[in-house]
Amino acid sequence: MTKRIFRSILLVVIPVLLAGLIIISGVMYSYLTEVQEAQMLSELSLAAAGVEQKGTDYLSAVRSKDFRLTYVSSDGTVIFDTESQVSNMDNHANREEIKEALLGGSGKSSRYSATLTEQTLYYAKKLSNGNVLRISIDRASVLSLLLGVLQPIAFIFLVAIILSVIIANRISKKIVMPLNELDLDEPMKNDAYDEISPLLSRIHRQHKQISMQEESLRRKAEEFDQITSNMQEGLILLDSKNTLMSVNSAALRIFDRFCFNPGDSFLTLDRSHELRDALAQAEKDGYCETFLSRDSKEYRVNISRIDSDDKPAGYVILLSDITDKISAERSRREFTANVSHELKTPLQSIIGYSELLSNGMAKPQDIPTFTATIYKEATRLVSLIDDIIRLSQLDEGVQMQTEDISLMPLAQDIINQLSSKASEKNVSITIEGENVDVRGQFRLLSEILFNLCDNAIKYNRQNGNVAIKIWQTDQDVCFAVSDNGIGIPKEHHSRIFERFYRVDKSHSRQSGGTGLGLSIVKHAVAFHNGKISLESVPDEGTTVTVSIPK
Amino acid sequence: MRSRFDEQLDNLFKDLIMMGSLCEEAIALAAKALSKNDSKLAAKVHPIDEEIDRMEKEIESNCLKLLLQQQPVARDLRQISAALKMITDMERIGDQAEDIAEIVSFIPKDKKNDSLLIEQMAKAAIKMVTDSVDAYVRRDPMLAQSVIDSDDTVDHYFDQVKSSLISLITENPDDGEYALDILMIAKYLERIGDHAVNIAEWVLFSITGIHKTTEEHSV
Repeated sequence: MTKRIFRSILLVVIPVLLAGLIIISGVMYSYLTEVQEAQMLSELSLAAAGVEQKGTDYLSAVRSKDFRLTYVSSDGTVIFDTESQVSNMDNHANREEIKEALLGGSGKSSRYSATLTEQTLYYAKKLSNGNVLRISIDRASVLSLLLGVLQPIAFIFLVAIILSVIIANRISKKIVMPLNELDLDEPMKNDAYDEISPLLSRIHRQHKQISMQEESLRRKAEEFDQITSNMQEGLILLDSKNTLMSVNSAALRIFDRFCFNPGDSFLTLDRSHELRDALAQAEKDGYCETFLSRDSKEYRVNISRIDSDDKPAGYVILLSDITDKISAERSRREFTANVSHELKTPLQSIIGYSELLSNGMAKPQDIPTFTATIYKEATRLVSLIDDIIRLSQLDEGVQMQTEDISLMPLAQDIINQLSSKASEKNVSITIEGENVDVRGQFRLLSEILFNLCDNAIKYNRQNGNVAIKIWQTDQDVCFAVSDNGIGIPKEHHSRIFERFYRVDKSHSRQSGGTGLGLSIVKHAVAFHNGKISLESVPDEGTTVTVSIPK
Repeated sequence: MRSRFDEQLDNLFKDLIMMGSLCEEAIALAAKALSKNDSKLAAKVHPIDEEIDRMEKEIESNCLKLLLQQQPVARDLRQISAALKMITDMERIGDQAEDIAEIVSFIPKDKKNDSLLIEQMAKAAIKMVTDSVDAYVRRDPMLAQSVIDSDDTVDHYFDQVKSSLISLITENPDDGEYALDILMIAKYLERIGDHAVNIAEWVLFSITGIHKTTEEHSV
C-alpha cells in the first residue's frame, strides 16, 4: 500500500520537476541569448566607431574579459587581437562572419567548442576603410547550463523522494486505519468507505454461509458421535499413517482406556502384534479379518482400507464382541455330543439284552429281569426324547395358550405325584403361603414345579425336608422350593441350567433323570418372562426361587 | 526443520512401543512355555529376542543421530536420553526371557510344574513390563510409580519360591536339578521385574525431568 502510494507520488513529482526544469531553462536561455546579442551589437558598434577614429590604439586600450575583439584587414590578415598574438593567428578570410561582413557590411556566426559545452558567437562589421572588426563572446551552451544545475536538482530530487516516503506513509496509514478497524464479525455495521461496501456485503454473505456450513458440520459430527458412541461394536478410524482419528466409546472400553488423543499413533491404543500384522495385511490387501481376545472376551476384528484416488486414505477397524456367539456355538456342539451320548447309552443296553434274548442265550429265570431292564431303558429313552422335544419347542418359541392358574392346587397335585418317590427316601414335603393366581401356561408351570420338587427329593438325604413356599409381591408372583439336601458347590452354580450338565456325573446315573430338567425349568421360566435364582450351600441345602411377573 | 524433528521423535516413540511390545511378547511366551513345559513354545522366544536386539541397535543409532543432528533441548532431550536408557533395559528383558526359555527347553518332559507360585511370579513380572510400557505410551506418571512400587511383590514371590524349593529339595533330593532350574527362572523373573522398574523410572524422568538417582544425589 505505502509502496504504491509512494510510487505514484514519485511518478507525478519527477515528470513535473523535469518539465519545469526544461521549460525554465529553455525560457531563461533564450532570454539570456537575446540580451547578450544586443549587448554585443552595441559593443561592436562602439568599438567600430572607436577604431574608425583612433585605429588599433583604441583596441589596445580596450581590455575586457567579456569580449574579444579582432581586427582583420580586408584580405583576411589579422591586424590586432585582444587576446592572442597576431603572429600566431592564421588568415581569417575564410571565416564565415568575416566573409559575410566583407560582402554585406556585417556578418554573424556561431561555433561550438570541441566539448560542446561552450559556444562562441561572432559578430563582424566592415569599417569604412574596408577592414573588418569582429567581436566574439564565449557563452555556456544549454548542456553546460544543465550540468551546472545538476547538483541542486539532485538535491531537490532527494528531498522529493524523502517527502514522498513520509507522505506516502501518512496517507496509507490514514487509508488503512479505518480498514483495520472494520468489525468483520458484523460487516454490515461498519461505515468506513462507500467504496468497500460491496466487499463488506460479500463478507457478510460469506459469514452467513460459513456459519451455516459450520452448523451442518457440527450436526454431522454430533450425529456420527451419537451413532458411534451408542454402537455395541468398537469402531476406530485411522488415517493412512495409522494415526487415530476417531475411537468410539465401545472401542475405548475394549482397550481399557478412558480417552484418546486424536493424532496419536494407533500403537498407543494397542501394540499387540496380532493387530499390527492385521493392519499390515489390510494395507496390502485392502481387507483383513482377525480375532482378538481381551479380558476373557473374544472379538472379531474387521479392518478395511479406505482408498481415495487410488491411494490409501485410512483404515476402519470394527471390533465386534463374539464371546456369546462362541460360547453358544460351544454349548451347541456339547449339546449334540451329549444328546447322542445320552440316547446311545439306553439303546446300547436295550440292544445288548434283546440280543441275548433273541439268541436264546438268556436263562429262563433271567428273562423277567432282562425284559424289565429293556422296559426301563426304553422308558428312559422316551422320557429323554420327550424332554428334548419340549426343550426344542421352548427353543423355537412356539406360542402356547395361557390361562389363570392357581398355584396352591397345582403344587398340591405335584406333591401327590411325587409322594411315592418321597416316601422311598422318607422325605417330607410341606407347602406354605397363600393361594395366588398367575397367568401362565399350565403344562410349563407344572413342569417347573415338578422338576424343582423332583430335584429337591432326588438330591436329598434320608429323612430330609422339602418346603414349597408361595407368595406375591406388588409386581411378581413368587414361589420357592427349598430342601436341606446335599447342596450344590458354588463353582457349578452358573452351569447347572445348561443341558446335560451334571454336578456329579456318577451320582446322576443312579438317581436317574435326563440332565435336562433344570434346562427345561430355565426355558419355561423364560417363557413367562420370569426370573430364577439359586441359593445353595453344600451339605446344607438348596433354595430355588422363581418369580413371574403378574 | 522442526516438523521433521517432530516426525523423527514420533518415529522414535513408535519404535520404542514396538520394542516394548516385543519384550512383553517374549516374556509372555517364555512364561507360557514354562507353565506348559513346552519346548516348542520356548524355541519361539529366540527369534523375538533377535528382533529385540536388532531394534535396540536401530533405536540406539537413531537416538544418537537425533542428538547429533538436531541438538535437542529440554523435554526432547529428556525423551531421547530416556529412550537410550530404556532400550538397554528392554534388551536385557528380552535376553532374560530367552534365558528362561532355554532353561525350560532343558526341563524334562515328565516334570510337570505343579507349583502355582512361579506362574504367579511370572504373571506379576509380565504385568510390570506391560505396565511400564503402558506408562510410557500414555505418559502416565502414576502408572510408572505403581510399577516401581510393585517391585516388592515380585521380590516377595522370589523369597516364597526359594523357600518352597528348599522344602522340595529336603523332601525329594532327586529333584535338586529341577529345583535349581526353577530357582534360576525365578531369579531371571526377579531381574525382569528390576528392569521394568528401571524402565518406569526413566519414564518418570522423561515426564517430570527428575530421575530417582539425581533426586538422591540432590538430597
